[in-house]
Amino acid sequence: MTHALTRPRRVPQDEVLARLGEPEPMTKAKIFDRVDQHSRRFIAHSPFLTMATADAAGRADCSPRGDYPGFVKVLDDRTLAIPDRPGNRLADSFRNLAENDGIGLLFLVPGVRETLRVNGRAYPTDEPDVLVRMQTEARQPALALVVEVAEVYLHCGRALIRSRLWDPASQALAAEIPSAGEIAIGQLGLDLDPELIDRKLEADYRELY
Amino acid sequence: MQLTILDRVDRVADGVLSLVLRGAGPLAPWEPGAHVDLALPNWLTRQYSLYGDPADRERYRIAVRHEPLSRGGSEYVHLFLRRGRTLEVSSPRNNFPLLAAREYLFLAGGIGITPILPMLRAATRAGATARLVYAGRSAATMPFTDDLRSSYGDRVSILAEDEQGRPDLAALAAGLSPRALVYCCGPAPMLAAAEAAFPAERLHIERFRPTARTFPPNTAFEVVCARSGQTVHVSPEESMLTALTHAGHPVPSGCREGVCGSCELTVLDGEPEHRDDIGAPANRMYACVSRARSPRLVVNL
Repeated sequence: MTHALTRPRRVPQDEVLARLGEPEPMTKAKIFDRVDQHSRRFIAHSPFLTMATADAAGRADCSPRGDYPGFVKVLDDRTLAIPDRPGNRLADSFRNLAENDGIGLLFLVPGVRETLRVNGRAYPTDEPDVLVRMQTEARQPALALVVEVAEVYLHCGRALIRSRLWDPASQALAAEIPSAGEIAIGQLGLDLDPELIDRKLEADYRELY
Repeated sequence: MQLTILDRVDRVADGVLSLVLRGAGPLAPWEPGAHVDLALPNWLTRQYSLYGDPADRERYRIAVRHEPLSRGGSEYVHLFLRRGRTLEVSSPRNNFPLLAAREYLFLAGGIGITPILPMLRAATRAGATARLVYAGRSAATMPFTDDLRSSYGDRVSILAEDEQGRPDLAALAAGLSPRALVYCCGPAPMLAAAEAAFPAERLHIERFRPTARTFPPNTAFEVVCARSGQTVHVSPEESMLTALTHAGHPVPSGCREGVCGSCELTVLDGEPEHRDDIGAPANRMYACVSRARSPRLVVNL
């Protein structure tokens, strides 16, 4: 493991902006305050998003959400609902939102290089008419997040193009990553066969809802 | 089979659209009461009754109501499915076959008219006495009323609930000829009323959604796949369909709630615990909801 001997230099904000230059006028113009029909179509085909929240002190967190395409419901052009499927029960997002209701979402559609950014404010709900629309495999979530939309915009595809995210050949990278079991044993310092953890995880993954 | 959306008519009635599907050649034959599974681009599979003419081997016609509390099927069809899109469509399957009779009473509620249309046509062509009582929330929400009036005249009663109220099924039952069969498709309250009004042996119904029932707690069981010889353990937390799929025996499935019949399996040994709303024939079961009374089932997989 290498150690940075000195902290990398912090660039002041005015200098950052000077180096980046002005955004294209089009970039600013395409920030909407509601879900237009094309964004709605994007969300209806997105099976995956990342959700960023932060607590009152600004401690930030980002977590994944995924299900069948359209799992995020567009209730109207200013309101989304995201089902809370079983996860790690740490409730990081819920804890943050209770203190600070700001939320940032990034929707991905497999094969599409552009991503859809939706920012707004969120709160938990158990409204039956919302939850019933989220029923899968005869189960519905106990909670959902309602997102009151403030900003919607399509983010350009350069990051996904450079990252070759949808190129099937990129999946060769997976073989170079330790398994979840190996990572857990390394981090917790356990004297166990990592395959035991991986097998347990695989069994747990059969129960998705 | 891959079928293409040849046409899309957006306003068959308020909130109802119809789709015309076409394949590369003649389509699989079907009988009145049949439905197909549409595999939608959002990975959901939904069942729709065929309402066209079975003699038309070039096209399937379906009609879809946009459910306000859609779980993603009807909403997708209404908002996002475009003309020209090709979809995987199952062969027609019939859980609601029209049995031969001299007299029929057809009861349809709302979009439940779709399987009834070809039934009424077939019954009339066969020279049977056929009557239709067609109910809906309001006249504007009820598809095909003009066609029905012009084709069948006073053999069809159209009742908009906001004007005429709900049909009096008890009066219909009292006036029913002893040789008539009753076919009913509609929302759950109408089916429940029909079950209360008509004798079970003469009533045939088709549901859109499962009935709300409670079952004994799930228990674990084993499924022996007779052809592969593999034994699959089904834990209390998972369905037999899920366990079979994970064990490398993917079973076709549609509604996953015991209504459509896509996941029918042949049972060679053991006693299934049927939880479907179809009424499994002898030695058959539906793997999405049904489980086992015996510790072991042998199925033809």
